Amino acid sequence: MTARVMVQGVTSGAGKSTLTALLCLYLRQQGFKVAPFKALNLSLNSYVTSEGKEMGIAQAYQAWAAGLEPEACMNPILLKPSDEGRMQMVLNGRPYAEIDPHSKAPDQRILVDAIKGSFEHLCERFDFIVIEGSGSPVEINLVGKDLANMRTAEIARSPVLLVGDIDKGGVFAGLYGTWHLMSGPHRRMMKGFIINRFRGDGSILGSGIEILENKMSMPCLGVVPMVELRTPEEDSLGMTGRGPRGSCSDDMRVVWVDSLQSLLEAAQPGLDLRRICDIGSKGID
Amino acid sequence: MDFREKVVSEIREGVKGTDHDCRYNPCHFPGQDCTFCFCPLYPCEDPELGKLVKGRDGKDVWSCQDCYWTHRPDVARELHQLLTHRVGGEDAPIDTKSIKAVLERKFNKRAKALMVLGATSGAGKSFITAALCRVLSDQGFRVAPFKSQNMSLNSCVTSSGEEIARIQELQARAARAEPIAAMNPILLKPKGNAVSQVMVEGRPYMDMDVTQYYECFVRNEAMGIIRRNYELLAKTNDYVVIEGAGSPAEINISGFEVANMRTAEVADADCVLVVNIEWGGAFAYIFGTILLLPEAERKRFKGIIINNMFGNAACLRSGIERVERELGIPVLGVMPHTEHSLPTEDSMFISSKRSSVSDKVVGVIRLPRISNFTDFDALTLEEGVSVLYVNDPKELDYVDAIVIPGTKNTIQDLVWLERSQFASKIKELDGKVPILGVCGGYQMLGDTIMDVHGIEGGVCQQVEGLGLLRAVTDFDAYDKRTVQVSGELLVGTGGKVRGYEIHMGRTMAEEPGRLFRISSGGDPYDEGSVSADGMVMGTYLHGVFDLPAFRKFFVEMMASRGEGRGRTEARSLDEVVEESLALSAKVLLENLDLSPLIPFHQGGGTE
Repeated sequence: MTARVMVQGVTSGAGKSTLTALLCLYLRQQGFKVAPFKALNLSLNSYVTSEGKEMGIAQAYQAWAAGLEPEACMNPILLKPSDEGRMQMVLNGRPYAEIDPHSKAPDQRILVDAIKGSFEHLCERFDFIVIEGSGSPVEINLVGKDLANMRTAEIARSPVLLVGDIDKGGVFAGLYGTWHLMSGPHRRMMKGFIINRFRGDGSILGSGIEILENKMSMPCLGVVPMVELRTPEEDSLGMTGRGPRGSCSDDMRVVWVDSLQSLLEAAQPGLDLRRICDIGSKGID
Repeated sequence: MDFREKVVSEIREGVKGTDHDCRYNPCHFPGQDCTFCFCPLYPCEDPELGKLVKGRDGKDVWSCQDCYWTHRPDVARELHQLLTHRVGGEDAPIDTKSIKAVLERKFNKRAKALMVLGATSGAGKSFITAALCRVLSDQGFRVAPFKSQNMSLNSCVTSSGEEIARIQELQARAARAEPIAAMNPILLKPKGNAVSQVMVEGRPYMDMDVTQYYECFVRNEAMGIIRRNYELLAKTNDYVVIEGAGSPAEINISGFEVANMRTAEVADADCVLVVNIEWGGAFAYIFGTILLLPEAERKRFKGIIINNMFGNAACLRSGIERVERELGIPVLGVMPHTEHSLPTEDSMFISSKRSSVSDKVVGVIRLPRISNFTDFDALTLEEGVSVLYVNDPKELDYVDAIVIPGTKNTIQDLVWLERSQFASKIKELDGKVPILGVCGGYQMLGDTIMDVHGIEGGVCQQVEGLGLLRAVTDFDAYDKRTVQVSGELLVGTGGKVRGYEIHMGRTMAEEPGRLFRISSGGDPYDEGSVSADGMVMGTYLHGVFDLPAFRKFFVEMMASRGEGRGRTEARSLDEVVEESLALSAKVLLENLDLSPLIPFHQGGGTE
């Protein structure tokens, strides 16, 4: 069976996209044929594939990290908000519907089929799929409507990792609250958590990590250091303009992947990548 | 002169304010009012104000040493007024009991403490604290902000030469209070290498590394410093609005941390938790924060504020109900995202938003439906260039080039440009700085946008563009162009360009100048427009800056042809800040039910 692992975040911008790309890069270097997947992306930053199909730019970036040409099946559903609840839905790379608060929501079965179809298509051709969630998986107001997180994990039968951004502060609260608000069956699909964007000496986190591991009955798979990084941001203007200058390349795409390589090197000592690889190979019980 | 005569003479002399000539000043606190050196209410025998001590002769004496109440300028003024009206003849008794009762209805003898804690940094604590200060001040209360410990390089100096964090100075302004060091008794100024200069009560105290700070300073003197400074504010105000630091639920450092729940305990504060909903996961943070706190600390929370909501708050109802049901804490309301010019703790005012003063700044207009802003990340690969997302037309006075980015809806964002005064500002800067439109921004720069089928707005219409490029855009059919392209520059010294187009509508360019010759697939064609003076450009290419040729051309042009920033004097900062503070209070009152925190029926002092 194709190995798979899903990265979900405590918030948007927790580092899901980057960690997904990082895992793609690592697994490629370990000799896997790896592909990224995100069922549904809510973003106005999109990319056009060589076939003229539209997809989220983060999946294009992850594809580059995996050493692949981006394909629309890596992001079958792209929602592009326009205003006051209106948005354009791009399905399999083509505009599919204009959604507004008054129109009938698109048939969930069609969307689920699109997710399944694309995911299976990737499974046929690759031996490891790294799946990215969307926003927080426990938005109480979206219960039952959120396709991009636990619903996708169920469709893909994928173990889930939860990543929280410590740079914002409150990471323990964010991780614990996310776990607390999940149903029992969903909690059982969670196989570990990761603390992202940490500055300083990791030993200071020890006691907090231990409390969380006990409360949530899952291991901390690592602490990823804060690295000045260039990534294409999906939905926030936050990172723009930061990051190191003077990469050896002048091409933005090359700079993005180079920057990811430097993050991989910095993260490796603190992140149990082998265990993540095992979790992906083992799947869910 | 006996005591009564002294009081009567004090009343005759009128309100004094601070007696700077007195050699004992300040005998209670800086800024005290010295009208009643002898208190007309003496001996009030109110244990909340004074206490019994043994006198020199061994007898009990009522001591006012720790009472600051009648030295508050507002209390002294009111007391003087009451006495002037009520003191009859020389021998008529002063009814101090009833006068004190009147004062007590108007002025708190000890400040009530409200504390604003955040689920994360950047939750909006500082803004909400400032807004609460202003709301309470508007109610007539005497208010002070307080943050026991702040880490910031943005500090300023008080009138007595003490250094406090800039953000507390701003909150003092919100409270209409004179900023003093007690409002921010511990200030850490990071010096690099994990060492900070620790400032205590506005003066340099010692340089410490993290271990020294937590192992020595926090264990020993920190709480004493916090307590005595809070005490000063508590005795001289009706309300103290306290700001926490970061999250109160950092379970790895509980016990070493003084700025949140331990400060709340010192002040016996009613707490509110603020969570920023912009990033998602707000409910997880609310539950996680409260549930990781010990029971006794949980009980302090009287409300939760969901901050920075984009869009309609009604969709949050089920989540809010679950919070209130399971945590037993009311959600006071949902604050909409508010554009204001107040600095956040970590950023500063407009003029210092740039990463370095000498940088050339590309101002990208933050359209409401901005798309593909990853296009501009590449600009910062160039040394000495930074990108500023611009929310306010006035900020365009500080930029060296203007970019109108892509948008999900050209017509609606064009209407927004007009309405928000961006359009007139951009036209004013035509010819002075380079202006580039990408995709939707290109369409806006043209003369006309025709949407006769209502494809963009749902309404059939023809709208005027900014008119800076001779070009007409036509949304003639529901047809979305998505294609990768590459080619050569037709401007500057040439070079390669690569990108992709994602758009509805076609643009007929009537400018003779073109930007690119596209040669990928099919017949080569020319793309983009350049105005006759070369200063206005438009293109459909996303990723236009990814390869260096056009990027360098643009940056070079910005350096050589632009007149650059600083053309006009900015509005006075005070004016901008004052407007924003008034706005903050208004937004707070409109969106939150503050009744669990503030008794609005209570009168407050007179001004």
